[in-house]
Amino acid sequence: MMDRQEQLDFILDHYENPRHKGSLPEAEAMVEGGNPGCGDIVKMYLKVDPKTNQATVMFEGEGCTISQASASYLAEEVSGKTLDEILQIDHNTLMDALGREIVEQRTRCATLSLDTLRAAIRKREREQMLKS
Amino acid sequence: MSEYMHPEVLVETDWVAQHLSDPKVRVVESDEDILLYDVGHVPGSIKIDWHNDLNDPLRRDYLDADRFAALLSAKGIANDTTVVFYGDKNNWWACYALWVFKLFGHQDARIMNGGRKKWIDEQRELSKTVPSYPKTVYKAPARDDKTIRAFREDVLAHLEKKLPLVDVRSPGEYSGELLHMADYPQEGAMRGGHIPGAKSIPWAKAVQENGTFKSADDLKQLYQPQGITSDKDIIAYCRIGERSSHTWFVLTYLLGYPKVRNYDGSWTEWGNLVNVPIEK
Repeated sequence: MMDRQEQLDFILDHYENPRHKGSLPEAEAMVEGGNPGCGDIVKMYLKVDPKTNQATVMFEGEGCTISQASASYLAEEVSGKTLDEILQIDHNTLMDALGREIVEQRTRCATLSLDTLRAAIRKREREQMLKS
Repeated sequence: MSEYMHPEVLVETDWVAQHLSDPKVRVVESDEDILLYDVGHVPGSIKIDWHNDLNDPLRRDYLDADRFAALLSAKGIANDTTVVFYGDKNNWWACYALWVFKLFGHQDARIMNGGRKKWIDEQRELSKTVPSYPKTVYKAPARDDKTIRAFREDVLAHLEKKLPLVDVRSPGEYSGELLHMADYPQEGAMRGGHIPGAKSIPWAKAVQENGTFKSADDLKQLYQPQGITSDKDIIAYCRIGERSSHTWFVLTYLLGYPKVRNYDGSWTEWGNLVNVPIEK
């Protein structure tokens, strides 16, 4: 269990050294989310390996510290997981991982990445259905 | 070229850099992004959060005098301290915090011209060290809600007298097309539009590209042709009172208008009020 300072350092590290940041040209779905409290924008790219069912997630974006750190954390956390495993993650899980005490005043910033990623998963599902 | 009417309330980044160790000066960062201070701040500066520190937790209002005094005492600010505010978003929240300090009559409060962005653009030092200063004994008078603050009743009275109002939001918000700035959540008000008769003079027109304020002459050219002149009683508003604090600062200190009030209820109140008029 991290204390407040460790949690803060964790968030700032993701903000200053973002993981999985950049586009994913071979993405099967890309969704852009926005509009939480600080004018943030997050694009989530999703691709699933057909052999292993493991996802690769990348993000691009700009905005407040929490929204961008959250996108970095989430992209790193879910890459390598299956879509079923990703869909197990809810707002509470994400906020706890980021540090509820720090992000609770900005829940929309903290959860923008997850909502956007879920939208990307739905988009991919729709497109897969249309192909089948 | 004319000067600002109160140039002493605006300090440049150079001035701040030269006063970082001055015990009579306290530099305060106030941001919209609640973690920016932690990312790095002007060395020796403290953070005052508009929401956590200045707002009452249970009522849409500001701290009372006792809690304001306790806050400033804890932050190491004395009644005679020179407080210099800076922040993100072109100093919106810095101006807002300064305005709240003025509700309690703090004498020497200033703005760092250009805010956080200019400090960073000039590649000046940022620190992650959170300083602590010796506690002071701060004495705060009762909050003055009459002189520089307007409530909805004041705005209604203003309307009846056909006195000038300045809507400092974006043109889209003024027209009613948007309920908030573009790219922000379109929430917070039932209706879009503006208070009848309000002039649309977006706050952003008062600043240059580098975030510093425009010259006094340019500012006069911005407000005077719209009838916003120093002889009038003026109320400024936006969505929640932060952008209009910026305009309040410009009109009050840079142009020296003696009677300017900030309606902090702003559109989130007016746009939801029952039985008041709006225009689109």
